[in-house]
Amino acid sequence: MAKPAKGKGKGDAKGKKPKGSNRLLILVTAMALVPFSLPTLIVLFCAMLPTLGAALAERSGSRYAWVCVGGMNFSGLAPWLFDLWFGHHTIDYAIHQLTGVSMLLISYGAAGVGWLIYLGVPPVVATFTTMTSQRRSVVLIADQKKLVDIWGDGVTKGGGGGGAVDPADLL
Amino acid sequence: MANEQQKGPGPSVPLRERYLVYPGAPLPDFSTPTAQAFVAEDRRDAKRQYFALVARPGFPTRINCMRFLKGVECPGLMTMAEWGVMDWPPANRKVMVVVYEKPLGGRVMASMTSDFRRVEEVDMVRKVIAPMTEALKKLRALGITHRNIRPTNMFWATPERDRIVLGDCAISPPAFDQPAIVEPLDSGQCVPAGRGNGAYTDDSYAFGASMVMLLQGRNLVAKQEDAAVIRNKMVNGSYSALVGENRMPVQMIEVLRGLLCDDAAQRWHVEALELWLAGRRLSPLISKNEKRAARGFNFGGKDYVTARELSAAFSRNFEAAAQVVLDGRLELWLRRSLDQQDKATAVSDAMHAAVAVATEKKPAFDYMVSKVCMILDTTAPIRFKGLNFLPDGLGNLLAVTVVEGGDVKLIAEAILRSVTKAWVETRESYNPDNSIMENAFNSQKIFLERTTIGNGVERLLYEMNDSMPCLSPHVVDECVMDIRDLLPALNNAARKNEGKGWPVERHIAAFIAARSNFDVDRAIYELSDGNPARSVLAMLNILAILQWRLGQGGMTSLAGWVAGLTGPAINSYNNRETRKQLEKEIPRIAKDGNLVEMARVLDNPEARSLDQQGFDQAKDDWARMQREIKNIEAGQIGTDDEGVKTAQQIASLISVTIAFITTTLLLISRFFNG
Repeated sequence: MAKPAKGKGKGDAKGKKPKGSNRLLILVTAMALVPFSLPTLIVLFCAMLPTLGAALAERSGSRYAWVCVGGMNFSGLAPWLFDLWFGHHTIDYAIHQLTGVSMLLISYGAAGVGWLIYLGVPPVVATFTTMTSQRRSVVLIADQKKLVDIWGDGVTKGGGGGGAVDPADLL
Repeated sequence: MANEQQKGPGPSVPLRERYLVYPGAPLPDFSTPTAQAFVAEDRRDAKRQYFALVARPGFPTRINCMRFLKGVECPGLMTMAEWGVMDWPPANRKVMVVVYEKPLGGRVMASMTSDFRRVEEVDMVRKVIAPMTEALKKLRALGITHRNIRPTNMFWATPERDRIVLGDCAISPPAFDQPAIVEPLDSGQCVPAGRGNGAYTDDSYAFGASMVMLLQGRNLVAKQEDAAVIRNKMVNGSYSALVGENRMPVQMIEVLRGLLCDDAAQRWHVEALELWLAGRRLSPLISKNEKRAARGFNFGGKDYVTARELSAAFSRNFEAAAQVVLDGRLELWLRRSLDQQDKATAVSDAMHAAVAVATEKKPAFDYMVSKVCMILDTTAPIRFKGLNFLPDGLGNLLAVTVVEGGDVKLIAEAILRSVTKAWVETRESYNPDNSIMENAFNSQKIFLERTTIGNGVERLLYEMNDSMPCLSPHVVDECVMDIRDLLPALNNAARKNEGKGWPVERHIAAFIAARSNFDVDRAIYELSDGNPARSVLAMLNILAILQWRLGQGGMTSLAGWVAGLTGPAINSYNNRETRKQLEKEIPRIAKDGNLVEMARVLDNPEARSLDQQGFDQAKDDWARMQREIKNIEAGQIGTDDEGVKTAQQIASLISVTIAFITTTLLLISRFFNG
């Protein structure tokens, strides 16, 4: 976690320019592909709306919701997308797929499962962590006792040695 | 056989494995006021007769004189055969002893009040003046003064009584046993311990005073008090005071006047005596009388007509003297009646300096009176609140006062008030020796001002007295004069006392600081540190330095004593394993008597640095663990931001993994299904 922060802090002025140019590059590439992949884009846009919504709606700093929802959303959409790619990659077929209820139902349902995973995993992880941390606490207390046994009560204080003297004075 | 009979009962005690001293055979005829005499014998030459002078325990002696006089053969001196510290069973301790070859004709004068057979003037040169001149010449060549010349310390060298020899001069402080009448005016007014080594002319004077008694066969002023004789000397001069109305042989008058001249600069010295012996006759010196005032100065109900007498009177009543100085009467008298403008101005300056002191008027006035006394009589000793001494006698005065259990406050005050500086300032002529002496006193004042262990009066005692044995209760019975004897003495003390108290107490620390020619100042300074570990290490380091420098191993008992005191130093290590190791190791080292190794192990900077680093790391680790435990106890683990973020990462991972698997499986099925 420290590395991105370091990179961010190191050069805001330098970093912004490449990021902006990358986005522009992606946008230009996407615009160039539009004439050749329009059916795919129509299907993706319509079927992946829950992911777009998750990305726009998420307020937390970590921004993992759209990844979580997007992954499941894409899983639900994948069979129809492959049909489009490996079958009839036309606008008509894309619209045909959209107008059929099953594709949207399944992809949106999968997105919903994504949300469930996103919301359900943290409590489960917290419960598990709490269970393991009790044991961790016992280990830490034992380690602290070992330190006191070796170095005396002085280690528990802000300063001073185990005896009545400040050993730093003797150096 | 005669010597055999004198030995008396009891065993003998060896001195340097050659001379045997018999504690059961005292020789009162050879004793001095401060040292008892006993029969002694040379193992290599039993025919020669010896006697030993045993110093008073703890009393300072004149080791410098002993070093120079040992083995010196001179017609006017007893031959010193040996000197040194030896066991003395009657006192159950060690004492300083000087062994002399015995003069065979007995003491010249039994006591200062007794009569004896006078020396005829025809024999005077052969029997007295010639050998005494040789003695004074030899002493001068050796660079020492005798300071113990008086008829009661003169002996007939042979049974035929044809030559006089001087007795001991080394077993007691200089001029300590001298009656005031045989001392020059300045020295005679001092307390006996405060007379100092003096000058060669002081020996000339004492010889002159002794000659008067030898010529008369008695002390002419035996019935007079010392104070009366001194006053008579002040008023009439020493020759008149000692000879009085008595007739002196005409041929002796010149030499007596020369030797008894009150002006030390004009007094005969050994060269003048040699010239006189060679037949050159000079006109006798006439003593200059002190200038007399036109009108007496009334002080204490008595009129004084000379400044010298008034100075002596002031020294006896400091408080009254301060008043007459402050009201200006003294200055006026000096200007008008005595016509001594310089002295009047000097008195005025001293008065104004005292008045200008804003705080503590009393000490300032005491200093003022002391200085005024010196101004009035520039030949007088330092006079301070009834204590009279010469600057070079201050060390002996302090030593004798300490040994006799007296109060050293007055001496300490004299040093702190820099009265010696006033003495130097009031000299009529410049003497470079005085500047050297003043510098030495300034250093000693600094020692006195510091009250920490290794300083104070104890430090001064050893700094000012080379011959002072260490007075520490641990080693006082061992009569430790030389620093090389200190560790063995402490080792013996450890054996006897089973290690009570600290081995390096105030006297030991001061003795080491004064006698060592290597640097122990830092360790001495740290002895007074409030940190017990540091002071214990300082004590150990001092002893270790001594052992290392002097190459004295095997101090088993002392090392055991010290080992028992190292607790704070061991406990200053933080690591308990290290402490346990040290607690096992130190007794092992103590058994070898190796203080150097003990100091190296306990005061190892590298080990201490590692211990401190480890301790700091342990503190950091403990604090980190404590924070973690607190978080767990507060239930923050898994539900805090970090935990939630981790959980979200896991959820994302699950989702992306499912997507990847689904996509992969679909692709595979597409390939297989065509």
